[in-house]
Amino acid sequence: MREPLISARGVTVRFGGLVAVNGVDLDVHPGELVGVIGPNGAGKTTFFHTLSGVLVPTAGRLVVDGVDLTGRAAHEFANCGVARTFQTPRVFRDMSAEDNVRFGLEFAGRRRKHARDAFDNPAAILDLLGLGDAAAVPAGGLTPARQRLLEIGMALGARPRVLLLDEVAAGLTHAEVDATAQLIRRVRDEVGLAVIWIEHAVRVLMNYVERVAVLHQGAKIADGDPRKVAKDPAVIEAYLGEELPA
Amino acid sequence: MTFWIELASTGLITGGIYALVALGLNLQYGLMRVMNISHGEFLMLGAYLTWLAHTVFGINPVAFLPVVAILLFALGLIVYRLCFQRIVRTSPSVDVIEARSLLIGFGLMYLVQNAAYLAWGADMRGYSFLSDPVEVAGMRFAGNSLLAFGVAVAVSFAMLAVLRWTLFGKAVRAMMQSPTGAQLVGIDTRVLHPAVFGAGLALAGVAGALLSMVYEITPGMGEPYTVTALIVITLGGLGSAAGCLAGGMLLGLVEAFGMHFTSPSLKMLLSYGVFIAVLLARPKGLFAR
Amino acid sequence: MNSELRRILGLAAAASVGLATLPWLASDFILSLALTCLLYVGLAVSWAMFSGATNYLSLATAAFFGIGAYVTAWGYESLPYAIVVLLGGLAAAAFAAMVGAAVLHLRGAYFAVITFGLGELVRHAITYAEKTYAKTVGRVIADPPEAANVYFTVLLLAFLAVAASAAVRSSRFGLALAGIGGDEERTQTLGVNTRRTKILAFALAAFFAGALGAAMAVRWTYIEPASVFSPFIGFQTVLIAMIGGAQTLIGPIVSAVVFSLLTELLRLQFPYAYLITLGVLLILLVLYLPGGMASLLKRAWRPGA
Repeated sequence: MREPLISARGVTVRFGGLVAVNGVDLDVHPGELVGVIGPNGAGKTTFFHTLSGVLVPTAGRLVVDGVDLTGRAAHEFANCGVARTFQTPRVFRDMSAEDNVRFGLEFAGRRRKHARDAFDNPAAILDLLGLGDAAAVPAGGLTPARQRLLEIGMALGARPRVLLLDEVAAGLTHAEVDATAQLIRRVRDEVGLAVIWIEHAVRVLMNYVERVAVLHQGAKIADGDPRKVAKDPAVIEAYLGEELPA
Repeated sequence: MTFWIELASTGLITGGIYALVALGLNLQYGLMRVMNISHGEFLMLGAYLTWLAHTVFGINPVAFLPVVAILLFALGLIVYRLCFQRIVRTSPSVDVIEARSLLIGFGLMYLVQNAAYLAWGADMRGYSFLSDPVEVAGMRFAGNSLLAFGVAVAVSFAMLAVLRWTLFGKAVRAMMQSPTGAQLVGIDTRVLHPAVFGAGLALAGVAGALLSMVYEITPGMGEPYTVTALIVITLGGLGSAAGCLAGGMLLGLVEAFGMHFTSPSLKMLLSYGVFIAVLLARPKGLFAR
Repeated sequence: MNSELRRILGLAAAASVGLATLPWLASDFILSLALTCLLYVGLAVSWAMFSGATNYLSLATAAFFGIGAYVTAWGYESLPYAIVVLLGGLAAAAFAAMVGAAVLHLRGAYFAVITFGLGELVRHAITYAEKTYAKTVGRVIADPPEAANVYFTVLLLAFLAVAASAAVRSSRFGLALAGIGGDEERTQTLGVNTRRTKILAFALAAFFAGALGAAMAVRWTYIEPASVFSPFIGFQTVLIAMIGGAQTLIGPIVSAVVFSLLTELLRLQFPYAYLITLGVLLILLVLYLPGGMASLLKRAWRPGA
């Protein structure tokens, strides 16, 4: 059995009396593309915060590439190869698009120079994302959709082994989502990334991932083949009143 | 025993005035994230207005309090319109409002303080008002400081009542909790912001007027009170009016007892020590949950 | 080293060599004007190095400056001037690192207020310690160094501050600081140890303020807490940097020269009117030109941009 690239065990986050994430286990192996879905308030983004070190979980263990990172700061996660995007794009608005991508390369990316990857300069990454024409434009001046793409570029600059995508499809057109998904798959195949992709719009995600985990009220209620998960009574129950997963 | 009660009372009397000084600044900061570092300068204006009214026109300082409040409220509307409205409306984020308002506060501090030096000179000014000691339960206090304490606490409670029970107060509190939400239900920031800024200055002015009855005044008197206000706000929690009252009293007590056990020259050191300790240990204030 | 950095360093070095001839050419009055200008160039540039880049508004300059001055007050009798200046810088840097480790998780007004409070705390602590243990309220500097010596030292420090700032700006360290100013959490998720970066930059800025305080202290001959910890020094530094444009290197330099000259020439004659004008100017700048004077230059270069 291959070692998982990222492994969460019993991850729990409490805010006062509220349990936002409740004992979630998740293993993702190199080359896997896993979707995480769940109704509003299911704890998806909070779970992501723990996977990237932005938030220290109240309980549970996080191991990345064999290194136990439980309780460590976000930059240590980044330096172990975890890169992420945010639900609302967080680019450096005053820096050019190229400098935004360079940022990842200069820090997490530089420390991981041994990592096998195809992108070692900002221009190549921007071209890949179709942002080549915007290299010199301050990131704050890009449309929200392009800022979303740029954020993926920043994450790729960090030469990740694990890529966490938080609702990249929001605000993109159907064609754009399709192109982005193709791109993510291509990168994954080239460098053996483990990709975890959160999406609220379930239909979008189901088309692109090979495995899907469902969070409901902070707990994982299903994990497996998208078609099987879509028929799971517990999942249908969780989504009652919302868009059905299939 | 009487001695300790007297010491505690002295601390509380100072603390009551501290609370009033801090209340205005806290309202402004809580509502608009405007950190008006020139708060003490408007307190000084209140003190000088009262001094002028008393020494030149022979007006009773207590009777003059409402006039000070109205004058400074009006001044607050003007200052808000000229200096703060633009940054509150155009700044991209709360951080930016804080930074810019801090700088504007510095500008106002330079402006108002030096204008006062120009107008009234650097000499200490003062007048004698109710300076005879009063005996309460076997303890002696200066009449003017008792009066100042009484008025300060009354005004603070009045302000608390306004915040709690009037429509205006409810709007202010709603605004502090959720600016967007409050705007959605039709609360108009174009009225609320200037009004609260004006109220902040009016409170500072009243505090200054009270202080002028007790202490001698100079154009530079405001700065330490700004710092005191910041300490009280830190103790009580930013944006919390009731915390302000408690924080002021607490600081007064800490100063009174601290100076008794160490030395009067350590007063500022004590206040800053408390301030920094609280800011490090409980940055949201002592009473935050 | 990239060409931009080499050009700036070359310019700064040339300017410094030119200014180094001043003691032989100019009158005492001019020399003292130049000294004040250089002092504020050093203070404003080093302040902007940290606060301009990271948007952490520090009001601790007066504290660093005063610590440096007190190192001179305590050490000048037994140690050479150059060593005292170096120690003054190191003491301020050590203080900044210690304080930074404790308070650099606070942002916005909290950070500004606590850095101001710390300065006052140090001032009152020194006042009290001197009164209680040394039985004195101030110290006399006997046998101060020659005016030209002080001038060369401050010139060197100002040059080093500009050089350090330019080097930081073109380095990864500078990129990390700019990232912290833009979005601190995002910076962290891209692999920057933001805490260490902030503490280092804060200490580096403090080094220059402390060394300048130690170097200038000998000019006063009589050193007391109220004058060397004067909040005016801190405020003036922040104002100069902000008015010039704290995100830039040239902004604080130009504005330091302009305002130091104005201060020295007008402050003695019209002290109150001058400060009133300064206040009004600051308000107008924050309202209508939040990027500082440097943003005017940029606009002139890129019309329509």
